Amino acid sequence: MRIYLLRQLALLIITLFLLTIFAFCLSYWFPGNPITNSSGIFSDDTVRFAEAAAARGYDANIFVQYWHYLGHLFRGDWGISLLDADPVFEQLQLRFGATLEIAVLAMLIALVPGIALGVLAALNFRKPIDHTILSMSLSGYSIPVFWFAQIAILLVAVRWEMLPIAGQINPLFNIEPITGSILLDIFISQPDNMSLALRSAVRHITLPVLVLSVMPMMLLIRLTRSSMLDVLDKNYITSAYAKGLSTRSVIWSHAIPNAMQNVIRELGSLLSLLITNTMIIEVIFSWPGIGSWLIRSIYERDYPVIQGGLLLIAALILCVHVALNLFHAWRYPQVRKDLNASS
Amino acid sequence: MPRPNLYYEERTPSPLERVWHEFNRNPLARSALYIIILIMFLCVFGPLLTPYGPNEQILDAISLPPAWSEAGDIRFLLGTDELGRDMVTRIIYGARYTFGYPFLVVIASAAIGISLGAIAAMTVGVKSSTLKHLLDVLMSIPSLLLALIIIAITGPGLSNALLAIGLVLIPQFLHVTRNAIHDERQKPYVTASRLNGVSDLYLLAMVFFPNIVKVLVIQLTIGLSIAILDIAALGFLRLGAQSPTPEWGSMLAQSLEVAYISPWVMALPGIALFLTLVSVNLVGETLRIAIQKQLER
Repeated sequence: MRIYLLRQLALLIITLFLLTIFAFCLSYWFPGNPITNSSGIFSDDTVRFAEAAAARGYDANIFVQYWHYLGHLFRGDWGISLLDADPVFEQLQLRFGATLEIAVLAMLIALVPGIALGVLAALNFRKPIDHTILSMSLSGYSIPVFWFAQIAILLVAVRWEMLPIAGQINPLFNIEPITGSILLDIFISQPDNMSLALRSAVRHITLPVLVLSVMPMMLLIRLTRSSMLDVLDKNYITSAYAKGLSTRSVIWSHAIPNAMQNVIRELGSLLSLLITNTMIIEVIFSWPGIGSWLIRSIYERDYPVIQGGLLLIAALILCVHVALNLFHAWRYPQVRKDLNASS
Repeated sequence: MPRPNLYYEERTPSPLERVWHEFNRNPLARSALYIIILIMFLCVFGPLLTPYGPNEQILDAISLPPAWSEAGDIRFLLGTDELGRDMVTRIIYGARYTFGYPFLVVIASAAIGISLGAIAAMTVGVKSSTLKHLLDVLMSIPSLLLALIIIAITGPGLSNALLAIGLVLIPQFLHVTRNAIHDERQKPYVTASRLNGVSDLYLLAMVFFPNIVKVLVIQLTIGLSIAILDIAALGFLRLGAQSPTPEWGSMLAQSLEVAYISPWVMALPGIALFLTLVSVNLVGETLRIAIQKQLER
């Protein structure tokens, strides 16, 4: 395990290092001046532009520049937005919380029904229940998320007027953003009318989270079903039945824990899909997260924001992947053995 | 008079026949196949069938509902949008942008990815293992995010979006090809051909390729589904096809403003996109099941 841990961490560090090199190169690949692209200061602001150029070492060679870039990166000085001169790092911190909030909630909501329906389908293999669940999940993950969100808005919010459709909370509540995640912020700042504020926040968050959770749920159903089917064919299930265990205890304590192994392995790719969908959902529901900011900055050509946002999202995905790999190897020793044997 | 067959003969149907059987067994899968064929037909011959141009405005018919409703007009079977453009025409033209172009892009990147993957699989050593780790990392980043990075550099536009999707799909094909060849290379039939002293090129084209083509076909359908969804998503985010283009994703984006008064403008491109994606996924799924059954025999 220790060797595996070290290998994974070394790999993560190397990858993150390559990622910073890539992000650094982006300021050269974007059209325009690399100093403006990475610091967000226009060249007609002569004094500050010269300062930025000196601070980032743009008079020296490219390795020195990269070194200065790393220094700025770790100090949290990611430049300022070209549009509204907001410091990129502080903004990203706030928006990161907002993005994580809906992504994590959607994942949690997807987990239970996804796994339960998957198990149910596997237990009723090739029966009507199985076919129903399968076709539901196939059509569920083929629905383009942006269309589904619009339909949901049209029905739930406009036709039935049940839920609000934009933003995190009713703007009348003055909640100081600290973590970016609205529910946490309410608990931290403790406003006078806390229950009302919470109610408003929950009403705002419901629709995006529900729409977002559909896709991972459908994929989880398929993953769980196929891995359950594999496990149910195994000899140890037959032997558990032969021992005289009840169906319930065979399923709960022998089949499901083993079926989860494959599911956890595939969870990484599911999470990357979730992140892309989160970005689209944020745009539709005007959720103040990284995704909507990043996409806006791409068509406004706000290069410091693109650079920082891409770096953060890619780093998040890589870290989550490594964490999942480690968890997988820690929880299932047989995987670890395979990995070590092959290397 | 046909001669009766006296001998019991076990005839194994050819792989293609078995795939066809699998499609025949499942009516849903067969209809999905027909839908894809129909969409392909529309991609090629669509412009010959439509009565109007995709951006032609008919000024006396603005925001007409579909023909079967009270206020509808039979000239416009599925109604018109807020600028008086015929929806049927726009959706048929959209098939080209949302299905046709991604299809071509997937074919192109498959060609590049598969040949690179074959080269990568034939070399071993440090180069190969570095490549594997790099690919693993690239594969873990979602395709839409990678496409966004490329569009951030090149700027928005349909051709840039297509280029981005193509570049993003190459590593996936590379990865799959490389892994498939790696799995096959220890098998006895490969060793036998090696002992026969065949050249690497022959080994690749005549020994490996027929055995990995199934995996590649499945990856092709997965890639197609990803490409269609991503092109539409980029169009929806206004980073792909730009406004008057009848691409389904960008049509959805335009319909946002009028979705509340003329919901069909929003519903129709979505339904078209949904049907296409379901069909592609279902065909891919059926192919996968058929191939799995062949492996189990």
